[in-house]
Amino acid sequence: MTVKLTTQAYCKMLLHAAKYPHCAVNGLLVAEKQKERRRDGQPAPVLYVDCVPLFHGTLALAPMLEVALNLIDTWCKENRYVIAGYYQANERIKDFRPNQVAEKVAARISENFSEAALIVVDNSRFTLDCYEPILTIFEHHENKWKCRDADVDCCEDWAEARKITSALLESRSYENLIDFDNHLDDLRNDWTNPEINKSVLHLC
Amino acid sequence: MASVSELYDVTWEEMRDKLRKWRDENYRNSEQIVDVGEELLNEHASKLGDDIWIIYEQVMIAALDCSRDDLAVSCLQELKRQFPGSHRVKRLAGMRLEALERYEDATKLYDSILQDDPTNTAARKRKMAMLKAQGKSPEAIRDLNEYLEQFVGDQEAWHELSELYINEHDYAKAAFCLEELMMTNPHNHLYCEQYAEVKYTQGGLDNLELSRKYFAQALKLNNRNMRALFGFYMSASHIAASPKVSAKVKKDNVRYAAWAASQINRAYQKSVMSQPLMSSFEEMASRGLFGPKNMC
Repeated sequence: MTVKLTTQAYCKMLLHAAKYPHCAVNGLLVAEKQKERRRDGQPAPVLYVDCVPLFHGTLALAPMLEVALNLIDTWCKENRYVIAGYYQANERIKDFRPNQVAEKVAARISENFSEAALIVVDNSRFTLDCYEPILTIFEHHENKWKCRDADVDCCEDWAEARKITSALLESRSYENLIDFDNHLDDLRNDWTNPEINKSVLHLC
Repeated sequence: MASVSELYDVTWEEMRDKLRKWRDENYRNSEQIVDVGEELLNEHASKLGDDIWIIYEQVMIAALDCSRDDLAVSCLQELKRQFPGSHRVKRLAGMRLEALERYEDATKLYDSILQDDPTNTAARKRKMAMLKAQGKSPEAIRDLNEYLEQFVGDQEAWHELSELYINEHDYAKAAFCLEELMMTNPHNHLYCEQYAEVKYTQGGLDNLELSRKYFAQALKLNNRNMRALFGFYMSASHIAASPKVSAKVKKDNVRYAAWAASQINRAYQKSVMSQPLMSSFEEMASRGLFGPKNMC
């Protein structure tokens, strides 16, 4: 099963991690609702078209996570998306394994989307010039989450993703990224991040 | 690159006041602190008076966060010159060693402070912070418990311990820490709300009821706390949906949930939200929940 990310999805994930370098951060990845399977019977690659940054700091509490999952699921239905994946960047720089929270949320997402992937951002390779994709993708096989290092194929267009992510990191656009925690602090904060989406589009 | 004062059209006094606000409210916006602080120290040092020393300390710590060892060292040198032999400055030197991951050297420094002054809490806390940084959570928890036996009124420590326990999924002990905090800070709506979140995460009907009560208490203390409002809605909804409750309890909780839903809708309407997000909540409230499963 292959997993691919659009530039917008990859970029917002990294901006979220960059905004809170001293915290763990997590979020959801959404894909477009697929109607058909490919002719040859093989499952089509899952394309993550967008990401919704959720929380920073304490990730292991349930109530706000449930609120977020519900609200975002409803938003997805209105936009013909489906929650199809989960990402997390851990608090410590050398910590790139998924923990209990990550596995639980990813398992919950798998109940609605069987090919859900769990993505962990590798903090230790995080650079301004985005030399390489810094994700580790975990897929659920036989009750375990098995790891697959991501190469440039994980992005729909790596050259574009690299250029745009690097530009936005350089210009500190992450200061304007809104996650669900920010939304709970002030409802006017829009977790769909229309401004950042516009910047990404503008740079494409 | 344009200076901060040019980019944002601020005076040095405004920059100094911003730094004070960030200090007082314990913000960790290190990039901004470095930008503003470095310019203030380079261009306006003579105007800062005695404030300059605490600004050196603040900028030094922010510089460590941003890997600006050059800036950190120059701040440290000024402080060492002004306050030779100070434990407070020594602790900053230790923090620099930590930033360079020279944990053994940092430990030696902190131990030397503690030998001189066994009640120095800052040095003890740095040692615990190092354990946390190295992923040694169980040891950090053990040391923090010992610390709290001696310094039972240290709220920052109780809060840190509650976070460590939450990350280890030991919700019962996290709840205990938050109970300590609520006892000494009965008007703090954030502690109430966090306690409610921990109880909710623990799961089970009794904990859900407790969680709903504490979300309600948090709302009483601050009726604009959205997390408390959402939490109150979620816990009431779960209780109402539970097969184990009596008809009366179910009816009461359905009423609570309906009240909360209407309050949430009002809050969204007042905040001039873009349509899609508001309709999301109404949709969600009318559908019931994603599923009454807990994360625990």
